[in-house]
Amino acid sequence: MKHATIAEAAFITDANLRSTAKPRRRPIHKMPASFSVAYFAGALVTDLVYWQMPDVMWERFSIWLITVGLIMAGLATIAYVIDLLGGRQIDRPAWPRAVGYALAVLLSLFNAFVHSRDGYTAVVPTGLTLSGLVIAVLILTAGVASALANRRAGA
Amino acid sequence: MMHALRNAGSAKLARRLAALSAAVAVLALAGCDDNGGDPRRQIGANPVLPQLQQYLMPPIRIAKAIGWGSETPTVPQGLQVHALATGFEHPRSLYVLPNGDVLVVESNGPKAPIYRPKDIITGWVQWFAGAKAKDANRITLLRDTNGDGVPELRTIFLDHLNSPFGVALVGHDLYVANTDAIVRYPYEDGQTSITAPGTKLTDLPGGPIDHHWTKTLLASPDGSKLYVGVGSNSNIGENGIGAEYERAAIWEVDRASGAHRIFANGVRNPTGLQWEPETNKLWAIANERDEIGPDLVPDYLTSVRDGGFYGWPYSYYGQHLDPRIMPQRPDLVASAIAPDYALSSHVAPLGLAIYTGTELPANYRGGAFVGEHGSWDRTPLNGYKVVFVPFSGGKPSGPAQDVVTGFLDANNHARGRPVGLAVDRAGALLIADDVGNTVWRVSSAHPGSSPKPGT
Repeated sequence: MKHATIAEAAFITDANLRSTAKPRRRPIHKMPASFSVAYFAGALVTDLVYWQMPDVMWERFSIWLITVGLIMAGLATIAYVIDLLGGRQIDRPAWPRAVGYALAVLLSLFNAFVHSRDGYTAVVPTGLTLSGLVIAVLILTAGVASALANRRAGA
Repeated sequence: MMHALRNAGSAKLARRLAALSAAVAVLALAGCDDNGGDPRRQIGANPVLPQLQQYLMPPIRIAKAIGWGSETPTVPQGLQVHALATGFEHPRSLYVLPNGDVLVVESNGPKAPIYRPKDIITGWVQWFAGAKAKDANRITLLRDTNGDGVPELRTIFLDHLNSPFGVALVGHDLYVANTDAIVRYPYEDGQTSITAPGTKLTDLPGGPIDHHWTKTLLASPDGSKLYVGVGSNSNIGENGIGAEYERAAIWEVDRASGAHRIFANGVRNPTGLQWEPETNKLWAIANERDEIGPDLVPDYLTSVRDGGFYGWPYSYYGQHLDPRIMPQRPDLVASAIAPDYALSSHVAPLGLAIYTGTELPANYRGGAFVGEHGSWDRTPLNGYKVVFVPFSGGKPSGPAQDVVTGFLDANNHARGRPVGLAVDRAGALLIADDVGNTVWRVSSAHPGSSPKPGT
């Protein structure tokens, strides 16, 4: 770790402080985005529990988890724009991740409305399906993004 | 350079995505059909019931509260209306004492807890509709000694109550149904204020949720029993079935002991309990469930059978299943009684007066006036008026007629909203208006010539 820092510092000096060679700052959108994914995953779990045992407590857990997940997604979007404007480091390839994440957030927005229905049909079957779909999209996105990144690295 | 290009590309993509998301969301919301059909198809014994629909976003179509200004409600020819008194704080129900004094119950519901993000939105909507007025928690007395429709005396009759609604006098015992208990006060004829402490007769289901907080009260003709309308604790059981214990029911309370039994249940929000004079049967009005369509479920007026089950939450209008409740109860649904008379959907009946007076024209005799507080989730708006349901042989005998209208202006803003009804000693119809903060009095246009022949 220390080694790397030294090497980088040496590189900057050598490169005569050209702007493109600056060490790019770490992105700030990753943390809120990770939180939102965790909240959406939590909602899938509480939906599954409610499906098996329809106690309103689980449904309330689900809608709050989705709501806070959406708030986090909103923060992540703001942070992503800041990252883009500030020229901060964005994981490559950027667009499959952005598209996949945006789709998951959009589905979660629909899911929040479905979960705001009264009674059993707030979850079963549409809400539960949407919660599952969100997680499926996120997993698929991660898979595609890492496959593309590996291919690029290999090329 | 490369980075800059890529960044610009990403930003463009992000913008496109944002635009796409917004477009999809708007489409989805616009796709919700909240336009209701003709309410007349849902008035009477056999309402047309469409297929139920579930919303992505339930429609909210409330009438913004603007007050009356110099306007008054509209009544048909042969009747006149004027304000008996104004300047109340959310008057919800009325009761006429034997000496003609009018009690105006000024009340609003307790603060609703926030269990879901939706509850925050609901709070804003209610504020917009003028339903978030301070809870005055008192009963005001109006006395009109000479019967000219202008009260000479106005006093605070009872103060420091807890979201009161129903009032019933039996002999010298005055019962007030707070949201959480029936309390008895000693009353002497002509008394204009009560300062004596009350005695609790029985607890009623109250907080912490207390979704339907109004507790209607009616004494049996012999005075031995009190009947209490206890509304459900939710729209459709979304607060758990445990929260509905002894709710969505009409209680029969023994006046001597305070003991109670469930007289009838499965009535989502029963109010306006009245005795039908010809058959001596108990009648009630009820607010049915929301969020399954602009024409579901029609609110109703019905006779109440001892031991009857009227469907909520498992079914509506007999055996029409509601999928929003789990586990279901086919055993109860099999026994569910369809109500007698539909008033059409989302009109929110909250006042009932079966007319036995002589002041109003003869065609109103024996029929029922219903105060319809008005819809909040339907286009076009429905209710916001007082209707009359003619009765014959102790049963509704024809379509409901508009009697008192003009609560909405041309822009669908609410000048007022009718709630509780009562008939005063002279036989005029009194209407509590909880947005206009007024008590209206409807009498014959030519008092000297009444009773007039029916039209």
